Amino acid sequence: MMWRGVGVTLILSLILPVVAQGARHTPPGKPKLTSCRSPEKETFTCWWEAGSDGRLPTTYSLFYRKENSDTVYECPDYHTAGANSCFFNKNDTSIWVNYSITVVATNALGSNFSDPVDVDVVYIVQPHTPENVTVVVLEDKDGPFLRVSWEPPRKADTRSGWITLIYELRVKLEEAEEWEEHHAGQQNIFNIFSLHSGGVYIVQVRCKPDHGFWSEWSAASYVKVPDYIPREQSMWILIAIFLSFIILILTWIINMNRNSVKHCLLPPVPGPKIKGFDKQLLKNGKSEEVFNAFVIQSFPTRSTDYEDLLVEYLEVYVNEEQELMLEGKDLQDVGCLKSKGPSDSDSGRGSCDSHSLLMEKCGGVESKEESSYEETELLQGQAGSWERLEMGDSQEVDCPDSSDGRVKTWLSVFSSSIHGSSDNHHLGTLEVPKQRSVPDNFFPTSSSSHHHPEYRDGLGEYSEYGLSRSPSARAHHHWEAHHLQAHRNFNISSLERQRDATALGLPPSQSMGYVQVQKVNQENQLVPKPLSSHGQGPFQVQFSGAGEDYSKVNGVNNYNVLLLQREMAEAGLCCDYQVKVGASEQSCPTQQQGKMDTHTPAATHFQESTCLTTSGYVDTATMMPTF
Amino acid sequence: MVNIGQIHQTKSLKQFVYSVLQGGVWAALLWPCLLSLGVPLECKDEQGSITRCASISQEKLLDRVIQHAELIYRVSEESCTLFEEMFVPIPMRSQRNQAGYTCATKAFPIPGSKSEIQQISDKWLLHSVLMLVQSWIEPLVYLQTTLDRYDDAPDTLLNKTKLVSEKLLSLEQGVVVLIRKMLDEGMLTTSYYEQGVAPYDMQSEVLESVPRDYTLLSCFKKDAHKMETFLKLLKCRQTDKYSCFLY
Repeated sequence: MMWRGVGVTLILSLILPVVAQGARHTPPGKPKLTSCRSPEKETFTCWWEAGSDGRLPTTYSLFYRKENSDTVYECPDYHTAGANSCFFNKNDTSIWVNYSITVVATNALGSNFSDPVDVDVVYIVQPHTPENVTVVVLEDKDGPFLRVSWEPPRKADTRSGWITLIYELRVKLEEAEEWEEHHAGQQNIFNIFSLHSGGVYIVQVRCKPDHGFWSEWSAASYVKVPDYIPREQSMWILIAIFLSFIILILTWIINMNRNSVKHCLLPPVPGPKIKGFDKQLLKNGKSEEVFNAFVIQSFPTRSTDYEDLLVEYLEVYVNEEQELMLEGKDLQDVGCLKSKGPSDSDSGRGSCDSHSLLMEKCGGVESKEESSYEETELLQGQAGSWERLEMGDSQEVDCPDSSDGRVKTWLSVFSSSIHGSSDNHHLGTLEVPKQRSVPDNFFPTSSSSHHHPEYRDGLGEYSEYGLSRSPSARAHHHWEAHHLQAHRNFNISSLERQRDATALGLPPSQSMGYVQVQKVNQENQLVPKPLSSHGQGPFQVQFSGAGEDYSKVNGVNNYNVLLLQREMAEAGLCCDYQVKVGASEQSCPTQQQGKMDTHTPAATHFQESTCLTTSGYVDTATMMPTF
Repeated sequence: MVNIGQIHQTKSLKQFVYSVLQGGVWAALLWPCLLSLGVPLECKDEQGSITRCASISQEKLLDRVIQHAELIYRVSEESCTLFEEMFVPIPMRSQRNQAGYTCATKAFPIPGSKSEIQQISDKWLLHSVLMLVQSWIEPLVYLQTTLDRYDDAPDTLLNKTKLVSEKLLSLEQGVVVLIRKMLDEGMLTTSYYEQGVAPYDMQSEVLESVPRDYTLLSCFKKDAHKMETFLKLLKCRQTDKYSCFLY
């Protein structure tokens, strides 16, 4: 039994604390005033929250004390505002007075006081939300806009000025995320502009006294904006249309003036502008024709008459001394002087007529076969056009039979010295000796010579010219070849003049003859070959006293130009006339070298000697530009 | 008489002299007004001697007075908040009756509720306002000097207090004119001292002055709100006397 009692006691002693813990009562925990609010500054409500209630029924009571008074009052109304609240009605509410409020929690075991809270009703005003929020869409010249209107909360006495409320509203598109807030002040109406056409907007309003808290947002008001075209957008559309019109018109104008625009923007590349140069011919590949055309046209001649361009004769004055000199030279080189080439290369082309050509023309002079100038194919280097030209020239030239004494084709031979010179002077100027190589076999056989008695005279090609003349005139074949610059006038001494000149009489001392230049010796000297057939010496004029003029070839420069030496007799000058040869150039020591121009090989081989006082007889062939 | 209250605003001797001169000029010009302590806001119409100045209508004057009051209240609220943030520790912020500093009791009862206020006549409303205004002129001046003694008082606070005190003087003048116009009463003196305002100890320590100044600012803020409310109620009564009392 005792053990049973002890056991029960033990058990009870173990159980009881556990049971007792669950059922322990404590005084209530400390309550806490959460907030007090006044909606219209005339009444207010305070709420509190309870602490632990200690598992006992707990009652809460609120006591307050007004400022400057020690009287403690209890809350007059616990129910109006709900649980754990105290409602102060108008009679109990004094503004501008601090309330000191305390909540007391009481249960069977004790009570607990909350911390006192000072409350001034003026500063705890939080009005209700504005009422009757209406949103209307109105039209304006700029587009539609929203007009929002509302009323103050019912209980707030704003009319008498008891409360002054300021409002705020917020707007957003229905699908947008952020609100757009606007401050409305004390007014009851607000306009919203710049709307999205066709969008749905949400509007909300709230209010606040000038010394309190913001109210809650009013209920959302939905409004749909009708579709419209914003003024800005329509303006841009108009501008775009206008610009497109302008661009269209500009394109049309440019298209109409396509060519001029192209010409303006992309100026044509200047091509070679050479007078008389026909591109088509060049393209066709017939360069010779082109050159022919060019040559004819650009030939700065006074007269366009082709016939007039012919140099009638070339007058060569050769001194006896020189003859001897040349003879000497010739004798040395007799052996190999003969150049037997089938082709006829004029010595230095000084004579524009290749006797071969003319011979052919005149039917029989096998100049071609026999006139072969070896090294002295002086003008071989020249373009064939020259020869062709010569051919052409020769074709046009009457055969030596003609009495015109037409001379061969010297084209573009200028001589300023001829200008205005007296016949005498002219005669004198004709004294450019020109040595031309005439092959031995150039001189035709007797048979040919029969045909051409002039040849018999041994003048070779020169004789051709002479042939064409009357014997009396033969003596003076003046070839006038004046190499000058291209701008000089080409002066062709007329046969008559020369006849006169000759009539005046060449000084008999002057032996006029011509020399065959057979070769160019190593010293780059043209070595004339004596005219063996006639045996009168190279410089003997075969004609009856008439001497043809040949220019002594001074040398050959490296541009295949024969340098013709001018007799120094009259002028005392020695000018070199460049005749195209294949050798180097020699220049007369007294030559006015300064007047010699250097020219490029590609350039024309114009005679650039400016020996003004002399009438140089030069192979006008050199004048021909080679292409 | 010159508005002696303006002398408080002069900080330097030069300004003081200037103001005295100005007052002298005014006195010379408005010598008929010297008989009645006139506020140089308005010219006397009935005497006809100085009728050249333009007078303002009563409504506009009341509006302006209300605007003044609103401004004063707003600035005082901002000043109180500034001071609170700077100098008052958080636990003590909501307690206004600390250390025994309470708002100075007024010599007259101020109505505490709307119903009470609605029972007050216009005359008393105006007079209450005037008394409120006049009771705060001097303490605001003191507050300015006190705040200057603070080491880290922000300039905005000082500027606001200065603004408030200036506006208060203007408000006083306006209310006086209003009283004269609305109530047809005689000139009231703009007082320098108002009884009931306890003289403050100017030499107290800064540490002690913080709660006192805080209390001062808070009480001023409250009184500014009172002025504003009274004036607005008065305005309602002027426009629509009947509907103002519906509530």
